Amino acid sequence: MSTEERVELLQGTLDLLILRTLLRGREHGHAIAKAIERNSADVLQVEQGSLYPALHRLLKRGWISAEEGVSENNRRANYYSLTAKGRRQLRLETAKWDKLAQAISRILRTA
Amino acid sequence: MNRHLKNLDQEIRDHIERETLANIERGMTPQDARAEALRAFGNITRVTEQTRAVWSVIWLEQLRQDVRYGARMLLHNPGFTAVVVLTLALGIGMNTAVFSVVNAVLLRPIGYPHPERLVWIGDYDTFLKRDIVRSSDFAGWREHATSFSLLSAYSRQQASMVTARGATNVNGVAVGGDFWSITGARPALGRLFGPEEQDKIVLSWDLFEHEFSADAGLIGQTVMLEGRAATLTGVLPREFRLQFPKWWIASELQPVEAYFPLVMSARERLRGVQVVGALKPGVGTRQALAELEVMEKDILAQDPNRDRANLHLEALQEQIAGNARPALLVLFAAGGFVLMIAAANIMNLLLARAAARRKEIAIRASVGAGRARVIRQFLTESLLLALLGGAAGLGLARGAIALLIRISPNAVPRLEETSIDGWVLTFTIAISVGAGVVFGVGPAIALWRSNLHGALKESARTSSSSFGLRVRRLLVAVEFALAIVLLTGAGLMLKSFWLMNAHPPGFSPESVLMLKLRPRFANKDAQTAYLRQLVERVESAPQIDAAGVSIWVAYSGVTGFPNDSSANQSHTVRLNFVSLGFLNTVRTTLVKGRWLNDADPANMILLNESFAREAFGAADPVGRSLRLNQPFTVAGVVSDVKYSKLDAAPPPEAYIPFQQLPLLPGLPIDLAIRTSGDPLAAAAGVRKLIAEADPGQPVYGVTTLDRLLASSIAPRRFNLFVLGSFAATALLLALIGIYGVIAYSVAQRTHEIGIRMALGAQRTEVVGMVAREGMTIALAGMVLGFAAAAGLTRLMASLLYGVKPTDLPTFAAVAAALGATALVACWSTALRAALVDPMVALRTE
Repeated sequence: MSTEERVELLQGTLDLLILRTLLRGREHGHAIAKAIERNSADVLQVEQGSLYPALHRLLKRGWISAEEGVSENNRRANYYSLTAKGRRQLRLETAKWDKLAQAISRILRTA
Repeated sequence: MNRHLKNLDQEIRDHIERETLANIERGMTPQDARAEALRAFGNITRVTEQTRAVWSVIWLEQLRQDVRYGARMLLHNPGFTAVVVLTLALGIGMNTAVFSVVNAVLLRPIGYPHPERLVWIGDYDTFLKRDIVRSSDFAGWREHATSFSLLSAYSRQQASMVTARGATNVNGVAVGGDFWSITGARPALGRLFGPEEQDKIVLSWDLFEHEFSADAGLIGQTVMLEGRAATLTGVLPREFRLQFPKWWIASELQPVEAYFPLVMSARERLRGVQVVGALKPGVGTRQALAELEVMEKDILAQDPNRDRANLHLEALQEQIAGNARPALLVLFAAGGFVLMIAAANIMNLLLARAAARRKEIAIRASVGAGRARVIRQFLTESLLLALLGGAAGLGLARGAIALLIRISPNAVPRLEETSIDGWVLTFTIAISVGAGVVFGVGPAIALWRSNLHGALKESARTSSSSFGLRVRRLLVAVEFALAIVLLTGAGLMLKSFWLMNAHPPGFSPESVLMLKLRPRFANKDAQTAYLRQLVERVESAPQIDAAGVSIWVAYSGVTGFPNDSSANQSHTVRLNFVSLGFLNTVRTTLVKGRWLNDADPANMILLNESFAREAFGAADPVGRSLRLNQPFTVAGVVSDVKYSKLDAAPPPEAYIPFQQLPLLPGLPIDLAIRTSGDPLAAAAGVRKLIAEADPGQPVYGVTTLDRLLASSIAPRRFNLFVLGSFAATALLLALIGIYGVIAYSVAQRTHEIGIRMALGAQRTEVVGMVAREGMTIALAGMVLGFAAAAGLTRLMASLLYGVKPTDLPTFAAVAAALGATALVACWSTALRAALVDPMVALRTE
C-alpha cells in the first residue's frame, strides 16, 4: 500500500479506535498502537507518537483510566482501560458512526 | 506536574524499544529496526509537548517556556537589550507623559459634583479677549433663569490682609451665588459663608498654615482685610482646588489663597465676574443659552446705551480644556511619531538580529519546533522587551511629569493634577504591547519567508535575506520622514517664539523690576501726592536707571475717531495713567511730536503707534485733539512696545499723566523699575522705601519684566519645550537608525568591498558608494517627510505666531540641518568601510 492511499487519521476517529481497542481489556500504549494498525488493515496509518496526546485527552475526559502494571516480559508499563463513562461514550459514538456511514453509503449508491 | 505525565518519557522510550524488538523479530538489523521504530513514532519532542499540552493550559505552558528562553536570550545580549529598552523607554515615556497630561486636562472629569451638568456662561469682551459677565446680569439670571439648578459667580480679588506676621497681599477669589454648592466644598474647619453674608474670609489650608500657623483657635476671630474687619469663618481642606477657569493664571503664579463673599452692592453692580452654573437635569446648553438671550433682549430694550452682550454657553470642562486641546493633540500626535520612530529602530535591530539568528532558528526547527512556535518565540521576546521598555518608560514619564509641572505649572489648566493613574497605566501597557507586536512582527515575517534549511548550510554572515534589508531601508526612510515632520513642527514653533521675543534694541526686560501695590486713598489729592512721592523716592534710590508707575484701565465705547468711517463706530482702548519715567523704563521711543514734561497743561497725552493708526489713519496726530473719557490733545506718538503680552499685538494705548487719574479705590498700581544691577536684589530696597511711606501697604507680584513676559506665553513655551524634546529625540533616533543600517550593510559587504579594492577601486569610490546608499535612503525619507509636513503643519496653525504653517525658510533650515547630520552619519560610516584592508576583508570568508 502506498503512502498516498493511506488516510490521515482524524482526531475523533483515533479516539474512537482507542476506545474500541480497549473494549477487549487493558493494554499498554505500544499494544494499542499495533492493534489499531492491525485492525484498520493499515488503511488508517498514523504516526505512533500521536497516540499519546490522544490517550491523555481521553484520560482527561475520564473515558479511560491508567494504572501501572507489569507486562508479559516482566517490565513495568502504563496500562490503559475503559471506564464506565468511556463505555457509554463508545456506544454513543459507535451508533453515531454507523448512522453516518450508512447515510454516506446510501448517498453513494443512489448517486 | 500531572501524575499521568510523570512516566511519559519512560513510556515513550519503552514504546520505541518494543517497536524496535518487534522489527528485529521481523528480520531487520538492530540499526534499521531502531531507525524504523523512530520513524514510525514520529517527532518525539513534539509528541511530548502535545501530550503535556493536553493537561496544561497550552499557551500558558508554552508562554512560560518562551518567556524563560526569551529572558535568557536578552540576558546573554545585555548591550542589545539595554539599547532596545532605553530606546523604548524614551518613546513610551514621552508618550505616557503626554497622555497623562491629556488624561488630566481633557479626559478626567472636574472633581466637583455632577461635572457633566456644569456649564460656563461667558460674555466675550473683544478688547480684553476674555469672558466677563456684568454682575448685574448674573444677579438677574440667578433670580429669573429657570434652566439652572445652581448659579455661581466668582471674580479674582486681591486683598491686603494684616495679621500678626504683618501686611500681606492675599491672592483671593470673591465668590457669590451657589459657589460652595457647585464646587461641593466642605470646610476642614469652621464653616463656609452664605451667599448673603459680607466681610467674611475662608482660607485655603496653605494660607491657614502659612499665615495663621494652623491655629484652629483663630476660627471666628477677626482679621483686617483692606482696612475693614472681616470674620475668619472657616478653612478649606488641603485638597480643595478651584477648578474653574482662571484667566489671571498667566500673570499670577500663586494658587488661590482665600475666598471672600462677592459684594453685590449698588456701587459694584457693574463689576465683571465669571459665571459657572449647573444645568437642571434634562436641560441642554442650547436651551439654557436661548433663555439667557431672551433675558438679554429685555435688558437691552430697557437700557439701549448698553453694549450688546456676546453670550455663549458651553460645558465647563470644554471651557477649561478647549484652548489647550489643539496643542495637546498636536503634542500627542508628535509623541506617537516618536514612538513609531523608536519602534522602527528596534524593528531594524531585530531584523538584523533575526538574520544573525537564522542558524539557531534552523536548529530549533530541525529538532522539532514548528515554524509557528519559533515565530511565537520571536514575538514573546519582543513583547518582553516592550514591557521592560514600558516599565522603564513609566519611570521616565514620572520624572518628565514632575519636570513639566515644575517648569511651567500654569501653561496648561489643571496641569498640576497630572498623575499616573489607572488610565495612564492602561495606556502605557497598551502602547508597550502594541509596539512589541509591531516590531516583533517584522522579523517574524522575514523569518516566515526565509528558507530555514538553507540557513544550516550557509555561513551565517552571508545569509542576510534581501527582504530584511529592504524592509530595514524602508524603515529608516520612514523614520526620516517622521523626524522631518517633528523637526518642521518644532522649527515653526521656535520661529514663532523667536518672533514673539523679538524686542526692540535696549528693551532688555531682564533688568526691569516689576511690583504691584494696591493703596487706597481718601481723595484724589492724596492719591496724586502719594504717587508723586513714590516715583521721586524710587527714582532717586541708588542703582536705579529709570522708574515709573502705570495704572491702566480698558476704556470701551470710544467713538468719533477722525479715521472712523461711520459716526457710531465704537473702540476699546487702553488708558494708561503713567509717570513719565514709566515710558523710559519700558524703552518706548518717540516716533513723532515730543515727550511730555511737567510744565505741560494737564490734557496733553501721548499715543502709541497702534492707537495713532486706529484713530488717525495715515494723518499726523500731533497737535490734534481727541475725546476719550475727557478731551485731550496729542503731544506725540511713541513706539509700540510689547511689555505685557508677547503673543499679541500691542493694544491701542494712550499714555496720560497720572495726575489725571480719577480716584479709583483698590486699583493695582504697577511699579516698573529699570536697575543697573540685579533687579531682584534691588527689590528689598524698594520694599523698604514703600514701607517707610506706609507700613501697612503690602507689596506683591515682585518679579522681573522678562519673567512676566515669559509667563504670558507659558503655554507656548510648554508646547515648544515638549515638541522640541520630541523632535530632538526623533532626530537622534533617526540618525541611529541610518547609522545602524549603513554599518550593517557595510559589514555585510566587507567581502565585496575587499574585492572591489583588490581590483583597484579607490578609497574615495568606496566612501562614495557607501555614503550614496545611505543618502538615498535619507533623501527619500526627507522628500516623503516634507510632503507630510506640508499637510500636517496646517493642523498646528493656532499654535504659531507670525509664521505660516508652510514657512519656506523653516522648511529649508530643517532640510539643511537634517541633510547635514545625515551626511555626517553616512560619511563617517563610509569612511570606516573604506579603511578596510582588502587582504583582511578577503580573508574573512
